[in-house]
Amino acid sequence: MSHLALNRVSKKFGARKILDDISFEMKRGETLVVFGPSGVGKTTLLRAISGIMDPDEGDVLLNGRSVMDKGPETRGVAMAFQNFALYPHMTATENIASPLRSRGVSESEIQSKVKEVAKLLRIDHVLSHLPRQLSNGQKQRTSLARSLVHNPEVLLLDDPLRNVDAKVRYEMRLELPRLFKRFQTTVIYVTQDYKEAMALGDRCGVLLDGRFQQLDTPAQVYRHPKDTRVANLFGDPPINLVPTRPSKMPDGSLHTNLAGHEMAMPDARHEWAGRDCLIGLRPEHIALHATPQPGAMQVELEAVTPFSVRNVMLLRAPDGTEILASTPEDHPLHNARGQQRVWASIDMKRALVFDRQTGASLLAA
Amino acid sequence: MASLTLEHVCKRYDSSKKNQDEALAVNDVSLDIQDGEIIGLLGSSGCGKTSTLRMIAGFESVTSGSIRIGTKQINLLKPAERNVAMAFEGYALYPPLTVSQNIAFSLLRSHASKEKAQARVKEIADLLEINDLLELYPPLLSGGQQQRVSLARALARDADVYLLDEPMSQLEPLLRAKLRARIKEHLIARKMTSVFVTHDQTEAVALADRIAVMSDGVLQQFGSPDDLKERPANLFVASFIGEPPMNLFRASLRIDSGRNLLDVTSDKGQALFQIALPAQARWSGMAAGQKFHLGLRPHRVRVGEGAAATSMTAGLTAKVVSNHWLGDQTHLGLEIGDAFVVVVTDGELSHAQDQVTLGVPIESLHLFDAATTQAVFHGPDMPRAEQPRHRVAA
Repeated sequence: MSHLALNRVSKKFGARKILDDISFEMKRGETLVVFGPSGVGKTTLLRAISGIMDPDEGDVLLNGRSVMDKGPETRGVAMAFQNFALYPHMTATENIASPLRSRGVSESEIQSKVKEVAKLLRIDHVLSHLPRQLSNGQKQRTSLARSLVHNPEVLLLDDPLRNVDAKVRYEMRLELPRLFKRFQTTVIYVTQDYKEAMALGDRCGVLLDGRFQQLDTPAQVYRHPKDTRVANLFGDPPINLVPTRPSKMPDGSLHTNLAGHEMAMPDARHEWAGRDCLIGLRPEHIALHATPQPGAMQVELEAVTPFSVRNVMLLRAPDGTEILASTPEDHPLHNARGQQRVWASIDMKRALVFDRQTGASLLAA
Repeated sequence: MASLTLEHVCKRYDSSKKNQDEALAVNDVSLDIQDGEIIGLLGSSGCGKTSTLRMIAGFESVTSGSIRIGTKQINLLKPAERNVAMAFEGYALYPPLTVSQNIAFSLLRSHASKEKAQARVKEIADLLEINDLLELYPPLLSGGQQQRVSLARALARDADVYLLDEPMSQLEPLLRAKLRARIKEHLIARKMTSVFVTHDQTEAVALADRIAVMSDGVLQQFGSPDDLKERPANLFVASFIGEPPMNLFRASLRIDSGRNLLDVTSDKGQALFQIALPAQARWSGMAAGQKFHLGLRPHRVRVGEGAAATSMTAGLTAKVVSNHWLGDQTHLGLEIGDAFVVVVTDGELSHAQDQVTLGVPIESLHLFDAATTQAVFHGPDMPRAEQPRHRVAA
């Protein structure tokens, strides 16, 4: 039986459908990341689950039973927000203890539980501080501690790392999975950062126009995006989408002119012949060479911009199309300065194919 | 286009302060910038990077020291007399002029022909993808669009030096990688000497030929992105640069029957592991008992199959706390004793593994003096073991 389930949940604000017939099920202890740009309904979805807001239609079930008749405080659902929402006049200890106090837990148990969760979140040294004495990172850790301290059945996190600096965000991203596992809580995590979506989710739901455009494991979403909108949201540098029209060769195989370079399309389907497509090439699937290679496209290397542990290379293809490639840090061309001619090997077996009109993937069964 | 030289430049905003050292916003900064070089001034807020840029522009006076463009001292000239082009935050676009007129304004004022100005506007608009905005007025633009127009206005000018303040902080994510690369290509192809300020090392590393890392008004290091990563001058730079930055430990040198060993402990003092240095690894002042901050670069530490082959440790394992595949790289959060260690690989590691073998090759190792925090040894300066870079099975 699923732990948490949504069944055909919809919500309108005026004429605008914010949530459009959303259904999904989660196992106990699972983490689902809800990912999408701002304004797509991510926060509204959390509010419907928590009970802060009632959907117009549909049902929220916990352990198989509807919780629609229960208020937010009795659903067993905890929430942490991007703006921390701490009580300004209370110390970190009192903030963390507040959900326990409202449940009438004994003083000694409160003290030991607060200490335990504070240690896990590495804020045990600032427990006596007021929120204004805490850094943003410590505030968010305090807010997380408060939402975890009473072992909620379901934890809803609304973009919790949005307002902390890059360094804290990185550290927390590595720490959170252990925390979730430790509390065995079912987590829904809302974010606009694709790295958090890939790193934290057992599954990732890409929310667009009030619907899950794709709900799958992060690896599946990255490797087999359902359409160009989803493909564009994952990866930095982003995927290359090159317009093309495959054509059938006399021997029956499919070829295409990709940005001015004739290429065979292995694994191509006959119905793609003559169709306006977009070829999706992930930058890391393009290999660059300083010398000619069989089958490689001759391109101009326009600029090298090192990026984290890789290098982003801007290429100009024979027909003028710009293509981004990403190479490992120690690549022989990583110190190239100024334009030069190089050769790009494109792994067509890993290329994605989309319909140019609808953007839908043509690789799906 | 010209070279730009800063010599012993200081800035003090409040000359009444008794403790004179404390009041220095910029403290004895010297930079020798070549003609056509792209320079990033990088640091957190309050480090002095923006004050430095404003002194070059002429918006701030220089308390002491001198600034030259080519051979001409400019720090006593008015901003308009310095022949520098600027894109500054708050250096607003003219609201009554269209985007196109804003970009052409300085060109026309410097007596460029209308045709030349138009051609230049078209070229720079193509580069920054603002063609559709040219006839609009600035108040109608989004923050990211205004930033691109402001950048276009600066880059369209003919100037000796280009000064850019956080030029790409608001670029739309889908455009960012491409625009960064195009701007870099544009600057290099036209040999435009440029200095930009940023708090974002991603931007600094992407664009700059050399980066000046500043902290508390002091220049910490001035070097190429490779230098900053592979040869950080001190503990500050080591802990600041890199995404993620270096893993830091404590270590002390022990000499045992002719072998040089580093005993590595966590910040909290727990003994973690031992490193057997190759005989060629030497530095001046090397002595038994010497104490260090030890840095291991996340992208040079190896994991998985073959990791042990070039390692200076024997049988070092770590517990996997998190395993984050991001499409083109994997970030691992690991525990060794009470220390948290981050490793980055280009490949993918099976999620099932909860224990990994760690390899610590010489090129991952950096040592900083425990007292002065200055670098004493960089592993990447040693000859590399002939081994493919740490890829793990995909």
